[in-house]
Amino acid sequence: MTQALFDIDSKTPVIIQGVTGRMGRRHAELMRAYGTNIVGGTSARPGDAGPEGLHVSRSCRDVVTATGATASVAMVPPYEVLAAASEAIQAGIRVVVTVAEGVPVHDALRLRAVAREAGAVWLGASTPGMALPGRAKLGFIPDVALKSGSWALLTKSGTLSYEVGYRMGARGLGQSIWIGVGGDVVKGVRFADLVGPLARHAPTRGVILVGEVGGTEEEQFAEAIRSTGFAKPVLALLAGRESKEGVSMGHAGAMTDGLMGTLRSKVEALRASGAEAFDSIEALVDRAAGLSEAPQQRGAGASTEVEGRSR
Amino acid sequence: MLLIEADGKSLFRDGGLRIPDGVLTGADMPSPALPGDGPWVVKAQVPVGGRGKAGGIALCRTRDEVAAAVRRMIGQSIRGHAVRTCLIERAITGTEAYISLMVDAGAGEVRLMYSASGGVDIEQTARQAGGIVSTSCTTDLAGVREGISRLTKDMPAAAPAAFTEVAERLAHVFFENELLLAEINPLFWTADGAVVGDAKIAIDINALERRPSLRDIIDRQPQVYRDVWRKIHEGFDFIDLDDDGSIGLVTTGAGLSMMLIDELVARGGKPVNFCDVRTGQLRGNPARLVRVLEWLAEKRNLRVIFVNIFAGITDLGEFARLLVQALDRSPIPDIPVIARLVGTGEQAAVDYLKSARPRLAVYSDMEPALAKVISVASP
Repeated sequence: MTQALFDIDSKTPVIIQGVTGRMGRRHAELMRAYGTNIVGGTSARPGDAGPEGLHVSRSCRDVVTATGATASVAMVPPYEVLAAASEAIQAGIRVVVTVAEGVPVHDALRLRAVAREAGAVWLGASTPGMALPGRAKLGFIPDVALKSGSWALLTKSGTLSYEVGYRMGARGLGQSIWIGVGGDVVKGVRFADLVGPLARHAPTRGVILVGEVGGTEEEQFAEAIRSTGFAKPVLALLAGRESKEGVSMGHAGAMTDGLMGTLRSKVEALRASGAEAFDSIEALVDRAAGLSEAPQQRGAGASTEVEGRSR
Repeated sequence: MLLIEADGKSLFRDGGLRIPDGVLTGADMPSPALPGDGPWVVKAQVPVGGRGKAGGIALCRTRDEVAAAVRRMIGQSIRGHAVRTCLIERAITGTEAYISLMVDAGAGEVRLMYSASGGVDIEQTARQAGGIVSTSCTTDLAGVREGISRLTKDMPAAAPAAFTEVAERLAHVFFENELLLAEINPLFWTADGAVVGDAKIAIDINALERRPSLRDIIDRQPQVYRDVWRKIHEGFDFIDLDDDGSIGLVTTGAGLSMMLIDELVARGGKPVNFCDVRTGQLRGNPARLVRVLEWLAEKRNLRVIFVNIFAGITDLGEFARLLVQALDRSPIPDIPVIARLVGTGEQAAVDYLKSARPRLAVYSDMEPALAKVISVASP
């Protein structure tokens, strides 16, 4: 189902929900400047100025009908995310990205059920979004961190992934796809949901996973690559070794209870599945650079050239 | 975020579940009138699991034993949390069971679990076949009701009615408060029905704004829920990690801040705090940065302040001006500041800082900045 994320390109028609708000307007312009095909948006006050040339309406269904949009970025406050994303999915949107911080977990549970039932992909609750570097971005991943290349970058964190992307770029490494799943407890897309499409995605020659304490996503991702015989190299950076037990470290999902979700359990699961785990950005990027120059094969399907040229 | 037991129990009581007679006591509170004639259980009130094994629970037969247990626990630290209050309850006798309802993040549903034998070894019980029964439910009362009837199918004749009553009340508390976890362990089955022996409740900070009764619990106890209280009232994250640490962090982004802490500790550094100041929300006002500096000023061993900003959207030129304004109002002007700034408006920021704060060390790359921080922080 998450295949739809990999099918996005510069032609995919995208709408912004909340396009006349301060954030919506600004990021619609930034996304458009990057190459995203922004075609319209919704607004509670459609008379207010949005970016030029966009079809803006109060109703998501109207905008989708008028523009043929298949993807949406909802730039609405956290307590409006459930309603906005549900409306988009009911209007026929196939990929909806929600960026607001602070979406209540019970809302996320309901939205996840809505998306599943409709067969749509919900990326969020709170994510900086996703990008096909050099082609399109949905959300607000900064351009300075993006570079076209052959590593799929999967991440729970915004800022930490920017740092990783930026330092990859400084070493000549880039991303085939960038997917922020968010640091929430309950989310639309989890790391493990991406394993199937990643295995098929030809531009992806390896995976960099930026994880952190809390939850069991990294463990489940490890199980998914092991059970499916995922052949591309996987490098994981894990943050939060020094985090405080029982306290959410900024991200609601980053809470350990001493049993599950500890760094140790993630490292052990990933290593047991053939992935490499790192606790420093420099070590991770060094290893990615090393693999890109002289790729070490991991399983039969590993490619001979890990790092491609920028498109 | 976990509630302390006394607060969790008040939610259960409000939801119609029975809790033991009890009284709260603390260092600066008068000696309480104990409920009943004993025995009593004295329990340290810290928002963390595993208290019993860490010495935070004592069964006392006499009033002297109660007083001694309270004296021993108050001021103690249990798994990183200082004990400020103890709950003294009448000891309950009955069969110990376990029941919980929790958000199952992986399944995207809620999970109802029950075991006829509860207590401190529940994790072990859970590993034994049939030790714990569990079912996944859709996220509403109707879904949990279906789960309850699935679980009661295999129970002995008299059990289902009592179990259903407790589980339904638990479900009401869970949904009405939008909880992440509502656990009763032990749940005592007594001659008079079910009694909540212990309460472990995890609340959703994101829902607080529309759950005034939970918000009120936090607001009344800023000392107990310091980190969350601060997040609500200041609008950003600042978490105390080590009051004796030497490196104060002024950072943005939760993941990057966590990683920086790991990287500093790996190099022998002692960070004081976790911080996600959210530069995108400063909007031309240095007040938030000033607050961070004020909190850092309270740390007695502070030797250096490390500012790390990856500016994707934020303009660093603007941030540099706010930083200087904040430093001008800093209660600790003599503490050296090292800044690592990268991204939008970087050059303007560097130029401005060079003239406005020539002694402030600015780096573009993280590795040399980390090395500098460690060398300044070392005694």
